[in-house]
This record gives sequence, structure tokens and C-alpha cells, in this order.
Amino acid sequence: MKRLLRDLDVPLLVITLLLVGYGMILLASATASLGGPWGYIRTRLFHLLVALAALVGVLLVDYRRVAGAWKALYAANLVLLVAVLLVGVTRLGAQRWIALGPFGGFQPSELAKIVLIITLARHLDGRLPPATVAGVVPYLLHMGLPLLLIIRQPDLGTAMVIGAILVGMLFLAGVRLRVLGSLGGLALMGAPFLWSLLHDYQRRRLVVFLDPTVDPLGAGYALTQAKIAVGSGQLWGKGLFAGTQNLLRFIPEQHTDFIFTVVGEELGFVGGMVLLALFALWVWRALHIASTAGDRLGQLIAGGILTMVVFHVFVNVGMTMGLMPITGIPLPFISYGGSSLLGMFVATGLLLNVRMRRRKILF
Amino acid sequence: MASEPSAKRIAGFAAVATLLFTVLLGRLWQLQVVQGAYYLQLSEENRLRDLRLPAPRGILYDRKGRPLVSNRAAFTVSLLAMELRDPERVLPRLAVLLGIPVETIRDRLAQARSRPFEPVRLLRDAPKNVVAMIEENRLDLPGVLIEVEPVRHYLYGALAAHALGYLGEISADELAARSGYRMGDLIGKSGTERIYDRKLRGHEGRLRVEVDARGRPLGVLSREPSHAGKSLVLTIDLDIQRAAEAALGEQTGAVVVLDPRNGEVLALVSHPAFDPNVFAAGITPERWRQLSGDTGLRLLSRATDATYEPGSVFKVVTAAAALTRGTATRETRVNCNGIFRLGRWVFHDLAAYGTVDFITGVAKSCNVFFWTLGTRTGGDAMAEMARALGLGARTGIDLPSENAGLIPDSAWKRRTQGEPWYPGDNANMAIGQGWMNVTPLQIARMIAAVANGGTLVRPHLVRQVIDPATGTVERVTTGPTGTVGFRPDVLATLREALEAVVVRGTGRAVAIPGLAIAGKTGSAENPRGQPHAWFAAYAPVDQPRIALAVLVEHGRRGGLVAAPIARAVLQAAFGIPAPPEAREGGEEGIR
Repeated sequence: MKRLLRDLDVPLLVITLLLVGYGMILLASATASLGGPWGYIRTRLFHLLVALAALVGVLLVDYRRVAGAWKALYAANLVLLVAVLLVGVTRLGAQRWIALGPFGGFQPSELAKIVLIITLARHLDGRLPPATVAGVVPYLLHMGLPLLLIIRQPDLGTAMVIGAILVGMLFLAGVRLRVLGSLGGLALMGAPFLWSLLHDYQRRRLVVFLDPTVDPLGAGYALTQAKIAVGSGQLWGKGLFAGTQNLLRFIPEQHTDFIFTVVGEELGFVGGMVLLALFALWVWRALHIASTAGDRLGQLIAGGILTMVVFHVFVNVGMTMGLMPITGIPLPFISYGGSSLLGMFVATGLLLNVRMRRRKILF
Repeated sequence: MASEPSAKRIAGFAAVATLLFTVLLGRLWQLQVVQGAYYLQLSEENRLRDLRLPAPRGILYDRKGRPLVSNRAAFTVSLLAMELRDPERVLPRLAVLLGIPVETIRDRLAQARSRPFEPVRLLRDAPKNVVAMIEENRLDLPGVLIEVEPVRHYLYGALAAHALGYLGEISADELAARSGYRMGDLIGKSGTERIYDRKLRGHEGRLRVEVDARGRPLGVLSREPSHAGKSLVLTIDLDIQRAAEAALGEQTGAVVVLDPRNGEVLALVSHPAFDPNVFAAGITPERWRQLSGDTGLRLLSRATDATYEPGSVFKVVTAAAALTRGTATRETRVNCNGIFRLGRWVFHDLAAYGTVDFITGVAKSCNVFFWTLGTRTGGDAMAEMARALGLGARTGIDLPSENAGLIPDSAWKRRTQGEPWYPGDNANMAIGQGWMNVTPLQIARMIAAVANGGTLVRPHLVRQVIDPATGTVERVTTGPTGTVGFRPDVLATLREALEAVVVRGTGRAVAIPGLAIAGKTGSAENPRGQPHAWFAAYAPVDQPRIALAVLVEHGRRGGLVAAPIARAVLQAAFGIPAPPEAREGGEEGIR
């Protein structure tokens, strides 16, 4: 136990807590216009407590044993995703939550990502990387079943994250670039079919992403206002609690998906740079853990988590700046939302787990 | 332990992550540092709304301080585009309530598309029952606002309408030609309202408020008070104006009353007129056409913008020219037997008076007498005198439009008709016929010049400009535009003759006991119908304070139709009560 603690990656833990702290400050400002921040801060602290407990819990069990239970994990995941569709709560037009009484709601898709990382890592571990597109099919099926359930909710953002995780982990597993390229080509050919699966509002978001002036008071509104918020922060920002786009509620969902606009507007380029630097440090630690992992399983898990976080950050921050379409995925550690925080802490716990147990354990 | 190929792949991860973070940082730099100022401005526009604080338009008073035009509070129905929900249902309902076509509402909304948070005015001065109906259906009419706005109020309706003018919404052309005006502003479209618009309108104030994303005001950031427009004390005398309008009645024509000493316009009448109140709330185009087109040029100011053949009132010019040139003196005698021979042409007068002297010739308006004078004096000399008396040129009155009229001479005839000036033209011109065209205002100024001894005054409508904020009074003075240069003997003879017109000539209908009046009648033949009735006069003769011109279109006889109107005006001007029996004009008073 002592040895394990000696190998605890303290920098990663510190960076994670710094991110959460930064997020807490932003949350206070983002919710100042939503009836005062104290209720939100209290809930956030409760979420944090639960998430920390989960992190510790994840640390206690060797990730190899966790992955060993892949059947149970995969099955439980499917059950939860089906449950969402059956008894889930609808908010903002999507059925993504399972009600948990006084604790609010739980979003299984936030944990589904982690489960899929673990089970896919286990699936890839010990096998030769598929050399053909046909060889990839089992892994596609592995991810495809839960993916369909998530698209049904609908949660296009999480579906995209799972796609990214699959690509990232296949890449890390050594699948040749030619095969990955072929997969990309197939995905493009399937795009019209995917388009037909989309809901109207999702299509509108994509069209608006290409040209926000199409509908400045409707679908393009969020994007336009987000860009105004970020841009108007200039170099140093307008100051905390002084962002007019934030406080006057020009930004929808400014404490969840659009929280980066609060950094951009109130703390400016400098504040945004600090936040991105913290994420970069986090990713640097994750890369380090992946490259020094004790086995292939650990490396694949670390790679999957790394992919997930980088993708989350890029898509979320990119969407507030008009680089990516608006898909509604949270900014890790920062956006308000318990399931997301829990998922990210479990992921962090897994990284710490992999790091801690990189040496063969001697009993 | 990580294998060699997986180390490469992890390096690939690092590369991709670095690339993505660099892209984010670059985009952040672009938005915040490169375009930051632009987005800051957009965010300010988002949160700041400038509400307009209307400035009360200046009041128009008559010369004795009685208000003629003021403002009253009225309800304006507006539409706030950003709060409008379900326009397909709301707009048709609103159109029915307001009684305006739904297309008009759509057009107005489309015009204001770029500023969805600014109310679009749909109906100014909405009737009370309409306002009540909208208030009752408030919940079904999201985005519909009722605001209180001042509306121009013309206290006496059509009184002096052409002098006062009317308001209308600024047109695209006017907007392009002026600075400091905005779409939807009311602007003076004619008369004093137009000429003095900048003084009258004042300066709009501004209330800068902070609003949230739904446009709800949260607080006032700054307040720039409005400055009320300046008030004008006009030269118009309400009593004289009313008397003149009453005397003209329903006859088509014009009356101009001047103070011959300084050119102040005491009354300016044109009939038929219009009620500017109709325009005050923003007139509909249909209504405008109905007013200006179908019912016969109501908007035309006959006193200043229409020209007429002067007929016998021009004999003032002929007489002055002849006396000045020495082609006639007070002692000149002419046999007014009703026939005038010019070469092989014979001119017939309507009546014969026997041999008359200068004074009687003018008093009786004998045509043979003036044909003789005109032939002796010549057209160019008469034209020169006419111009010296201000005919054929704009008077310079402070109104947006004015007709110059026309005084022909030989050069003009050669240029435009390609013909020389014939002796017959002299005869025609001598009695005010031919190509001549004058405005009633010009005739009033002409007679004023005789009254004041030869000064060509500049008629004007404004005496004082009052700043309601400071109370400062700015006196408006306008100098004369020229002098006639009468020789004293010419002036004396002319005045004597004009006085004789009233005492024993064609203008006896104007006579008022105790008031010495001088004047000249006219019955101007014209190609459009019966002769126009003219009368020009001034009083009192020794120290004239009033000069006036009356024109009744197709009124036939100046002495019978126009002179009694002049008499009513003079009675009002000098505070003389009208005698019980109305005096009839003499049978001779036909010109």
C-alpha cells in the first residue's frame, strides 16, 4: 500500500483539483444571474465529494481486475442505457437522465464512455491489431450497440466522443493508418445516411455552424452570442462577475456547455490561456502515464481516456468559438453537472490506477 | 512495458493533442485580440438600448401671443419585433383592430428588420376605443405596445393652414438630404413648419438603459435630457386672419395682409384649405390623394404659389410708369368715349366716361385712358416699373415655395415668342393683360410699396423666436429687398388717384367711415373662365399700417366681390365694428 501511494501521480491529482477549483470560480460567476451561485456551489461541492469518493474507489481495485469484469461492466452499461430510454427524464428535448430523487438525475452516458474505454481496452489487449477493415468489425460492433442506444436519446455529442475514443484506441493499438483511413472513407460514405437519422434541430445546428447568419435569432443565436462573449473579453477580460453577455443571459446554458464563454468574456485571452494550459498539463500527465504503463491494457485505457478528454476539450471550446458545431458536450472538470464530473474523476482515478500499478505487484 | 511501435503512436497522440490545443489558442487569439474590439462593440450593442426622449415641438403663437399650434398627448400603437410571436396570427388581428392593411404592417416590420428591439410605429394618434381594445387583448397580442407621444395640434383647424404648414413622416429623399433626422421622424412638409423645422423640433434626448437578453430594461445608465423646440411668435394676427377667412368664405381665392412698414404678414389666406391636424398623426397616402388630387388643389397656397393675370390692379404700375417717364401728369386729360384707335385697330371699352383727368381716369379705371398712357409709355418702361414694384420676382417670404410670376417685355417676347413687341402689346399690358402673371402676395407688396413711399419690403411670417428653456427672445428682422425710387410728385399723384378709387371710383365698396383708404380694383380676364376679382388697398392713407391684396378666382368684379372682403379685413384690422347695412358697390365698379 505504501508503495502504491508512493507511485501516486500527485501532479495529475493537483492539476485535476486546480481545474475543478477554476471551474468553481467560473460557476459562481456563471450562475450569479441564475438566482445566486450558492445553491449551485453547494451542489457542486456535493458532486465533488461523490466524485472524489469514486476516484478513491477506483484507485483501490487494480485496473486489471476491473477490466477482468468486462462482461458485467458491458452488460450493466447496456442495462443503464436501455433504462434511460425506458424510464429516463426528458430535459431540453433529450431523454438522457435517470431520476435519483433528491440527488437530481444521473446521466449514464457519462459513465458509458469510461466503461467502453475499459472493455474495448480489454478487447484489444493481447490481440494482434486488425490488419484489414474487416478485422475492425468486431470492435465496431463492440462500440456500435451502446452507440445506437445513445444516439436514440438523442445525445449526438457523446456519440461523437465514443467514435473518437474508438479511433484513438485503434490507433494506439497499432492499427495501420491505411485501415483507419479506409474506415474514415466508409464513414464519409455513410454520412448521408447519418444525416437522415438526425433530428431537425441537430441538422439546423450543423447548417448554422456553416453560416450563423442564416437564423440570427434562432439556431444561430447561441453561436453568435458565444463568439461575441469570447471575443469581447479581449486580452484581459471584463473581470469576474462583470461579463455582460454572461450576467445579462445572452448565452444559453452558460454554466454548463457554454461555460468557456465565461472564461473568455470575464478573464480574457489570459484566462482562457491559463485554462487551456491546465488541460495541456493534464494531457501531458496522461501521455506520460500511457507511455510508462505497466502493460498494454493500462496503456490502452490511458490512451482512451486521453482521447476522450482531448476530444471533449476541443469540441467544447471549439464550439464556443465557432470552430465546431454546437453538440452539447461538457467541458471536463469545469461544466456544471454531476454525472460529467463523476465520469471525469473515475477516468482520472483509472489513470492514477494505471500509473500506480505500472510495476508488477509483489505480494 | 510499452513497445517501440506504441511509443511512436503515443508520440502521434502528443502531436495531435498539441495541434488541437494550438488551434484553440490561435482561434482564441484571433477572436479576442485581433477582433476583440469588434466583438466588444457587439456586446455593448447587445446590452445597451438608447431610448428616445421626444422633444416637444415648439409652439406657434400669433403676433399677440395667442397659440395657433401646440402639441397634445396621443396614443401611438407600435410593434416590438423581437417580442412578436406567431406573426401569422397576430398581424392580421392587429390590422383589423387598427384598420390598416396587413401588408403595411409587414412592410414596416421589414424596414426595421435590422433593429428588432426598436418599436415600429404602426398608428399614431390611435382612437381611444382602439387603444382600449388592444389593452383588453394584451395577452393575445405579444409585442404590441401602446406609447404616449405628442401629436401636433392645430387649434383652429384649417385656419392659416398654408402659412402654418403641416407635418408628415420624413421621406427617404428628405432623410438623405438632411443630417440629424431619423427614419419615422415627423418633419414639417410645408409652410412655417417646414422652413423653421430645425428650430421647432428641438433636440431629442436619450435614455441609455441596460437590458438583458430578452430586452427587459434593468437600469438607467445615463440620461441626456431632451431640449424642447423653440417657439415662434408669428406675424399673423388671429383676428385679421379669421376676418379675412370669414369674408372670403367658400369662394376660391386668396387674401394677403401686410404691414407696409416692415413686411410682416398679418394674414395669409388661401381657400380651399385643408386641416393640418389630419396630417399630424401621419397621413395615409390614400387620404393624401383624396385631399390633394380629388378635391381640387387644397394644398396649393393660392396666395404665394399660384399666379394670376393682374388685370386692372396692374394699372397702378401703368400710372406710376407714365408719371415717372413724364408721359402723363396729374393734368393729363383723355377722352374716354369708349373707343381707342391704334393704327388700323380699334379697342372697345365697356363704358364711356367722357373726358377725364388723370385722377378720374384711375378712379374709374377707364381703359381708354390707360391704353393711351400705355401706348405713350411703352411696354419696356412699364415692365421696368413692374419689376421695381416687385412683380415677376419672388418676394423672399419665409415659406418653402413661392411662384415668381412673369412680367414680359420686348426682349422676353422676342426670346420666347420669336416676335417683336407690337404697339397692341403696349395697350394690352397697360390694363394688366397679356402674358403677365402675378401672385396675390406680390400685389400686396406692390401696394405696400406705394403705401410706404417706395420701399420694397420682404414679407415674412415670424416675428420672434423664443427658447422655452432660457426664455430668451430673438427678434426676427428682415430688411427691405429694394426701393422703387418714386419721385415725390409721382407718389403724391399716384396716392391721390388711388384714394379717389375708393372715394368716388370703382372701389367704393371698401369705404369705411372714418378710415381713409386707397386702393385699386381689378377684373382680370383669363382664358379659364369668368374674370378674376382683384382688390389691392392700403390704409390709413396718411400713415399706412395695412396693405392688402384680395383675389377671388372667377369672382368677375373686383369692386363688387373683392372690395367687400378687403373692407372686412380693414374693419378687423382697425377694430371698427361692421355697420348694420352692407354697402353695395356702384355699377361702375366692374374692373
